[in-house]
Amino acid sequence: MTARRASIIVIILAAVLALVVSGPAVSQTPKSGGTLNIMQREDLPQGFAVHETGTISTSWPAMPCLNNLVFFDPLKKVESLDTVIGELAEKWSWQDNYRNLVFFLRKGVKWHDGQPFTSKDVKFTFDMLREAPDAQGKLRINPRKDWYANLQNVEAPDPHTVIFHLKKPQPSLLLMLASGYSPVYAAHVPPASYRTGCVGTGPFKLKEWRKGEFVEMVKNPDYFVKGRPYLDTLRYIVIVERGTRTAALQAGKLDVSFPGETTKTTAEQLKKAVPQLVVTPYSQNVNDNIIMNVKKPPFDNLKVRLAVSHAIDRRALVQAVQQGGAVVGASMAPKPHGVWGLLEKDLLALPGYGKPADEKERARKLLAEVGISPGKPLKVEMVTRAIAVYVDMASFVINELKQIGIEATLKQVETAQWHPMATRGDYQIGANLTGIGPDDPDANFYENYSCGSPRNYSLYCNEEIGKLIEAQSQELDAKKRTQLVWDIQKKIEAEASRPILDWKLDYFTVWPHVKNLIPHQSIYNFGRMQEVWIDK
Amino acid sequence: MKTYIAQRLAIAVLTLFGMSVVIFVLLRLAPGDIVDILFASAGYVNAAEKQAILKDLGMDRPYWAQYIDWITQILTGDMGKSYRYDLPAWQIIKPLVPVTVELALLSIVFAVVLGVPTGVISAVRQDTTLDYVLRVVSLSGLSMPSFWLAMVIILGCVTWFGWIPPLTYVSPFENFKLHVVQFVLPALAVGYRSSALIMRITRSSLLEVMREDYIRTAWAKGQNGRVVIWRHALKNAILPVVTVIGIEFAFLIGGLVVTETVFNLPGVARFLVQAILWRDYPVVQNLVMFIAIIVILSNLIVDMLYGVLDPRVRYGS
Repeated sequence: MTARRASIIVIILAAVLALVVSGPAVSQTPKSGGTLNIMQREDLPQGFAVHETGTISTSWPAMPCLNNLVFFDPLKKVESLDTVIGELAEKWSWQDNYRNLVFFLRKGVKWHDGQPFTSKDVKFTFDMLREAPDAQGKLRINPRKDWYANLQNVEAPDPHTVIFHLKKPQPSLLLMLASGYSPVYAAHVPPASYRTGCVGTGPFKLKEWRKGEFVEMVKNPDYFVKGRPYLDTLRYIVIVERGTRTAALQAGKLDVSFPGETTKTTAEQLKKAVPQLVVTPYSQNVNDNIIMNVKKPPFDNLKVRLAVSHAIDRRALVQAVQQGGAVVGASMAPKPHGVWGLLEKDLLALPGYGKPADEKERARKLLAEVGISPGKPLKVEMVTRAIAVYVDMASFVINELKQIGIEATLKQVETAQWHPMATRGDYQIGANLTGIGPDDPDANFYENYSCGSPRNYSLYCNEEIGKLIEAQSQELDAKKRTQLVWDIQKKIEAEASRPILDWKLDYFTVWPHVKNLIPHQSIYNFGRMQEVWIDK
Repeated sequence: MKTYIAQRLAIAVLTLFGMSVVIFVLLRLAPGDIVDILFASAGYVNAAEKQAILKDLGMDRPYWAQYIDWITQILTGDMGKSYRYDLPAWQIIKPLVPVTVELALLSIVFAVVLGVPTGVISAVRQDTTLDYVLRVVSLSGLSMPSFWLAMVIILGCVTWFGWIPPLTYVSPFENFKLHVVQFVLPALAVGYRSSALIMRITRSSLLEVMREDYIRTAWAKGQNGRVVIWRHALKNAILPVVTVIGIEFAFLIGGLVVTETVFNLPGVARFLVQAILWRDYPVVQNLVMFIAIIVILSNLIVDMLYGVLDPRVRYGS
């Protein structure tokens, strides 16, 4: 036997042995019981009132208490129409050429306080969200009203059927309904009560929320999925200090990291200290972007905006600021992390994606056409939130702009002032982060690019793009819709009102005994904990 | 003495009134309010919704009316409602107080137990190797920020022992041993810095006293060394040390922010920072008033102790 043949046999044997010993997680029989200690980076900002906030700090710990009509399959990494499964809805059916969406609800489902769940609860929730004139409930803040703008009426013909009547076809409404941001509230408790407690139908019941310390949830014995959840208790432990959070995970006091929390560098350090930790990189569905106020000079001028977009070397930003923990992409999360991202060849044709030296030269030419040059620089104020991740990005961009003749001074704005300022358009140029619930064009485009949307911070309004957004939303053919979404992305980047710089990755970290907690391509949609179990 | 106490209490009331005005005004001078923060977490702002919430919270009323409301609430023992949690402020503040008071007391105990004896030894063994070592240790304590030390302790624990103290509050009635473990490390981190200050004050004060004639006389009479130092010298040198202990304690009540944050202890100081970030006026105002009361009381107690420790001090006579 030659040495080469011997080594091949050894490698094959080792591989077989490794397969036999480790075995895939899915083949293991789930065990019931145990407590999962979960990282929580801050106390719950709005309690469990998911419908009144847009932060993961609320939706992550609230998710196990609540249910949606439909949800993204927790065991599948990629979220799409194909991975939507029923929760409170046993099944559903599109009717009248995607104008009516009929949900057939599960029977025998109970709220945590023992009241029966019926179609009234669904109607209550979605009438409240779309702010119907006859809505029984009212939210004090309604950040996702735009998601339901196409919802004309919610009908509850019997206790176990609900019909969503749409103004026009909108196949992706189902994706928004599957988001962690779309739970069903109980009609018999005031919506405000979710700020202090949680009456849900979910796999876990709220036991205690000790303010600033922890949230404890216990298994719901009446959960409608038999045999679920596996765990007895969930403890979301609030740790404000980042170093302590990481140390707690490393010491095994926490089993699970917080979504969007672990950078590439931290993950590498953790892996080095505790090699058995399981780290899964995935897209947070959060992007870094530059907002430019198109209603005010100098950024009302397309050439100036395009110059800014050309000047910023995205790949260098990913390396320098994100330490490689991000990927470049346009306004939809890039493949393979997202479903709708542009193809590489299309991306390369967009402003800012070519060779850095060439791009900067183009930027200088554009500025020269409007009379700006290094000798006669454009002076602007760059605003950003006074949070490290924002400031780091802004500082990088300022340096890039300096190289083309734009001298930007940095103004850090406190969180309390940031959104009022951005919504009012009280700025020239800013460095911003945008998180998107589900990886779906409707959720993104309507919120961030449609005329008059409060989250359209650039105040950008383009009728042509508006029509395209409407067209893709109504398109039933998947291929045609994808093409429309690609076209929109190209046009948006060509208009440079909000150039996207990168898409952040999270390095979700869990101890190896945590099973079935699979991150999706959005941090907002995988925290139900119904399927999670501990192998100890 | 009674007149003195009455005078001090009257000044304390005036100070608290001044504090109430300052904290009320400063909070409102800070940009943004709770409603802005709520909208920040939603990622947008809606003027009509904002106005409705302001009205709901009573924040649309003139400032003077809000101030009078607050003072009236305090005088009637009501602390108002937390804007952030939608719960009575006292319900939120109450469990935090014992944590911070216990940590501050334990830190001061550590500081005194470490600082006074080392200060005495350092003074008695002036300019010896031991004195130099103790002074270097003391200088390190003063130079080392307690937050840095706290983080080093946490990282040291996790790196060397793969362990860190409990992350949520453990009641002494639930598990006394774990409770002690939870408080000892942060108290050491904070107490070390304070002990350094106490050590230096004890040393310099004792050195000064030991040069006095009556101490020389005691030595000349052949008194036992321990008696001279601990009974005659230290007793007279302790006044400035007591002052420092009082100031340190008052400082600790409000100054434990970082230690509580790093060790994840649910105390007043950590919560105060969060409440400020959230512009939760009722919680911030009442917490600051609570800290002010502790500071004033601890100063008062120190002044009272002067009379007890030094018979020469006779206030109001």
